[in-house]
Amino acid sequence: MTISATTQGLRMGVATSTSRPTVPFDGQVISETDTDSLQVYKGTAWAPVSGLTLITAQTIGTAVSSVTVSGAFSTTYDNYYINLSGGIASADCNLNLTLGSTATGYYSNYSYQAVSSSTVTVGNGSNTTSFTSVGSGSASVLSTHIFLQNPFTAKITTMSAQQFATSTTQYTSNSLGFLNNTTSYTAFTLTTSTGTMTGGTVRVYGYSNS
Amino acid sequence: MTYKIQVDDVVRDATEEEAAAIDAQVAEAQAQAKAQADKAVAREALLTKLGITADEAQLLLGGM
Repeated sequence: MTISATTQGLRMGVATSTSRPTVPFDGQVISETDTDSLQVYKGTAWAPVSGLTLITAQTIGTAVSSVTVSGAFSTTYDNYYINLSGGIASADCNLNLTLGSTATGYYSNYSYQAVSSSTVTVGNGSNTTSFTSVGSGSASVLSTHIFLQNPFTAKITTMSAQQFATSTTQYTSNSLGFLNNTTSYTAFTLTTSTGTMTGGTVRVYGYSNS
Repeated sequence: MTYKIQVDDVVRDATEEEAAAIDAQVAEAQAQAKAQADKAVAREALLTKLGITADEAQLLLGGM
């Protein structure tokens, strides 16, 4: 069977996550308006057609020390990707990550290396108030890539992050850690280690569970 | 210190409690930076004492 058009598109059934077809069939596809996603029924459950789905995009305001993104995590996904790009900082800084209002129990190791040097500097944070150095900021860039496992699920949350900093010395950095509790979180906050950030967008994506 | 924070689309001044949490993070970051700086100074002093470069030290440790 061939369906072809040059000026028109195929329209799926349109529903929301609470008004999905009550008697779905295997392979049925719907366009879900409240999650902005295509969902396919896989015999026993609905799942996003895409493996990675944009959940929310938060634009950062002017000269703020922190930005909190609410409604980022939910039962829909176990694992998440957070990307911050665009924007600048008022000073060379690191970005710290906290989940919900938790300010204790963060454990991490990090390493960084100037692109002009073979020396790797390592550090660690044991039971700290945040995941430290998960991102960086300077007069020319705000940057981070963060992967979170199980922030909403009632399990220990694990984190890995990478960044490229263009401060006085250009360097790359990695950070790995976990938050030692099984609290279920829906929100996270990025905070500068000094100074403020302006502009840029924090995007949160969910990895499909199936 | 007064901080301006953003919660979703709303930008506002931090409450005392929120400011204290940021202060704690800043202090922690400063302590980590100082520890790293102290370590770097100690490393340089040791390299000078040994009379080798950082790259040569990495070679000795099998890190390159």
